[in-house]
Amino acid sequence: MPTTLPIADPIVPESQDDLADLIRQAHDTTTPVYPIGGGTALDFGLPPKQPGWGISTAGINRLIDYPSRDMTITVEAGMTMAELAATLAAERQRLPIDVPHADVATLGGVVATNYNGPRRYGSGTVRDYVIGISGVDGRGVAFKGGGRVVKNVAGYDFCKLLTGSLGTLAVITQLTLKVRPLPESTALLACGFAHLTEAETALASLITSKTTPSAIELLVGPAWDDAGDIPGGEKTVARLVVGLEGTSPEVRWMLDQLASEWQALGVTSTLRIEGEQAPVVWQELIDFGATDDTALTVKLAVRPSRVCELIGVLQQVDPQVSIQAHAGSGVLIAKFAALSAADANNAMIKQIHPAAIAAGGSAIVWSANSPDDLTRLAVWGPVRDETLVMQSVKKQFDPRGVLNPGRFVYS
Amino acid sequence: MIAQAVPQLVAELQSVVGAEHVLSALCEMLVYECDGFTIEKNSPDVVVFPRTTRQVQQIVEICNRHQVPFIPRGAGTSLAGGCLPVGGGVMIVLTQMREIEEINLRDRFAIVQPGVVNVWLTNALKGTGYHYAPDPSSQGACTIGGNVATNSGGPHTLKYGVTVNHVLGVEAVMADGRVVMFGGPGEDNPGLDLVGTIVGSEGTLAIVTRVWVRLTRDPQGVRTMLGVFETCDDATNAISDIIGAGIVPAALEMMDQGILVAVEAAFQFGFPLDAQAIVLIEVDGLEAGLDAQRDAIVAICKGRNAREVRLAATTAERLKLWKCRKQAFGAVGRLSPSYCTQDGVVPRTQLPHIHRRITEIGQKYDIRIVNVFHAGDGNIHPILLFDERDADQVKRVLAASNEILAECIACGGSVTGEHGIGVEKIDFMTKLFAASDCEVMNRLRIAFNPTGRMSPGKMLPTAGACGLEKRHPGRRAAM
Repeated sequence: MPTTLPIADPIVPESQDDLADLIRQAHDTTTPVYPIGGGTALDFGLPPKQPGWGISTAGINRLIDYPSRDMTITVEAGMTMAELAATLAAERQRLPIDVPHADVATLGGVVATNYNGPRRYGSGTVRDYVIGISGVDGRGVAFKGGGRVVKNVAGYDFCKLLTGSLGTLAVITQLTLKVRPLPESTALLACGFAHLTEAETALASLITSKTTPSAIELLVGPAWDDAGDIPGGEKTVARLVVGLEGTSPEVRWMLDQLASEWQALGVTSTLRIEGEQAPVVWQELIDFGATDDTALTVKLAVRPSRVCELIGVLQQVDPQVSIQAHAGSGVLIAKFAALSAADANNAMIKQIHPAAIAAGGSAIVWSANSPDDLTRLAVWGPVRDETLVMQSVKKQFDPRGVLNPGRFVYS
Repeated sequence: MIAQAVPQLVAELQSVVGAEHVLSALCEMLVYECDGFTIEKNSPDVVVFPRTTRQVQQIVEICNRHQVPFIPRGAGTSLAGGCLPVGGGVMIVLTQMREIEEINLRDRFAIVQPGVVNVWLTNALKGTGYHYAPDPSSQGACTIGGNVATNSGGPHTLKYGVTVNHVLGVEAVMADGRVVMFGGPGEDNPGLDLVGTIVGSEGTLAIVTRVWVRLTRDPQGVRTMLGVFETCDDATNAISDIIGAGIVPAALEMMDQGILVAVEAAFQFGFPLDAQAIVLIEVDGLEAGLDAQRDAIVAICKGRNAREVRLAATTAERLKLWKCRKQAFGAVGRLSPSYCTQDGVVPRTQLPHIHRRITEIGQKYDIRIVNVFHAGDGNIHPILLFDERDADQVKRVLAASNEILAECIACGGSVTGEHGIGVEKIDFMTKLFAASDCEVMNRLRIAFNPTGRMSPGKMLPTAGACGLEKRHPGRRAAM
């Protein structure tokens, strides 16, 4: 098999055994392997620099077991998120993880990149739902962790270790998830602010709100200017959208309650997004995270109280930056439309990483349109003591460094 | 270790923490020779009580210099021998590190030292509108460091998740003495999720010296119900129906008649002693939705022939119900001189099946078994009653335990939902996992703990046999 770069014509094994054979060959010949799910997040991490094999999980995509009354499901990693959602919806259940391009994105890819959207505030992240995992390590050894029951502490938690490991420890082949009931009703409440300080006051007050939001989204910048019905005039600098889910009486009560809590803060205009409009707005909130041709997309995760301050830092880099903050969780996605590679490196290293670290968190480059020019420091931030322990783990799982080499946080 | 080397070791440890924080006389160390799993005992050579991360680091460096094993310990309430000092060595007891360093409501986290008792954090948060969700039944004694080591659960983890779902970061002393910060107050730490990997590693990967925990909003309202059933089949079927109906209760617990008698004698709640099973059901959340959930649950229970469904009318009544549940194991002493609790897990729809099998297995071995289930999670705690002075009974209890756990595996379940592998269940690892799974787990251990000097003989069959023969199941606390 020829090695190529960029990865064209990936190999498509049909089973975990075939995949393990391939990785054993790669190990024996020290050939880099680039695992590919739906290909929606290939820009994440540093770009591949060594020719190697692309290996697609598209052929490993079967439903293995769905005992819906146990509220668990076991599927192969190549299943798309849309197919998974449809399977679950037939039993009025869901995996509450928001992913753009769900018709293409695979579950394995979502787990490998630890991708999470707006509902992370109310529902947690993908790591909270993976209860069993199988994969093939960098030696071609197939292994598993966890199991098929919702509570299990036998052995090391490979479900956590592999979630977010970007295919650098193992290629994920199968997952068991715990799932949740589909909510009966969903709605959103939105308002706009003329100053970020007002936004922070509203965010802080949500901490003691009587409502239980599923998502707390703060939206800033030109990408949101034509965001349809979300209120705000020329003076609006930030829009706040709160997602509410539950039974119909619960959602109705929360809409009224939150509107009155906002009124007490001096918010004069709020918009209720209900009925057929609600899924449309949810989808807008989910799609912003999709990889596109933006010059630089950055993800920051900081203490929630520092979100507005970080928005200020990002606007110093480029006043035209568009931002979606999953503000309740302290996570920001910032899109810089026009930024040269040199400016991107500079902004990440001199401004964004230090500000994120000072705010109790971290930043990473999510995607860039000229990724080859970005440095490891710009993409992943400074090497920490913890990074060195990650390297020790990597050496044990992939001693010859064949899995996604040069792309992840390891220095 | 060699006895002559101990005085030198003790002297060096004393120079770090002070003489009053080191124990080395056998009689002083009796309590440290086991945890809640009392079947296997072994004394450490030295017990040391550090008060700072720096002291833990210095202790680990001393152990490495002397090439002696070391093992962290919290309150010792674990139930699978996770802090049994296999091979002796230095036991590092973290109960003197007991400060709640910060409570930050705006950012929804608290920073605690490992020796903070679980309920202290709950108490410190009272009135803030927030709480720390994991609530193991031993929460009045167990430490958060121990909860992290064993990934503790508790009745309310059905809705809120176990410890790993509530830990944002840890500071830890590594096996080689380095101090490393993993994660922190921010989410989505770049790179591998080593926080999630360390939680539940039973002290074999790192010694946790500081924990960033997530705080959870208190629910607006609660409805607590007690379903009374004529048969265990009806009770377990009702539980399965509640989950199957898409209701996620905060807690869903079952006790059968055997244990009910003991609990009633201890606490006089007014449980109906002729009922075969009671189910404790709690839903929480917005008031706007609670009555509908309550009504749905009552209808499901009635549909499964519940004799009655009582509602806890007052907070006091609710707290008493929970006291009965959480202290159920203490009441078992009224039933027999010794008991042995198992910690299996089955898919929730298999609860009726596993309960029938437990009854059959009890009959087969002529062992009385009473049951307390974290039923909503499928986590079963059959309690095998016996007299440890009777060698034949002891043999039968061990055989019955093994058969119950084997049945859990056959149902697609696990041999431990929350107590851990420790030394007790090492033999089951190769039944749950393939040799390649265990080999990869061992490689993970090597990445963190290459010499194996930290907590040797734990969790993995490859980590070296403990060398102690399992002779009898002993008396032990549970949960």
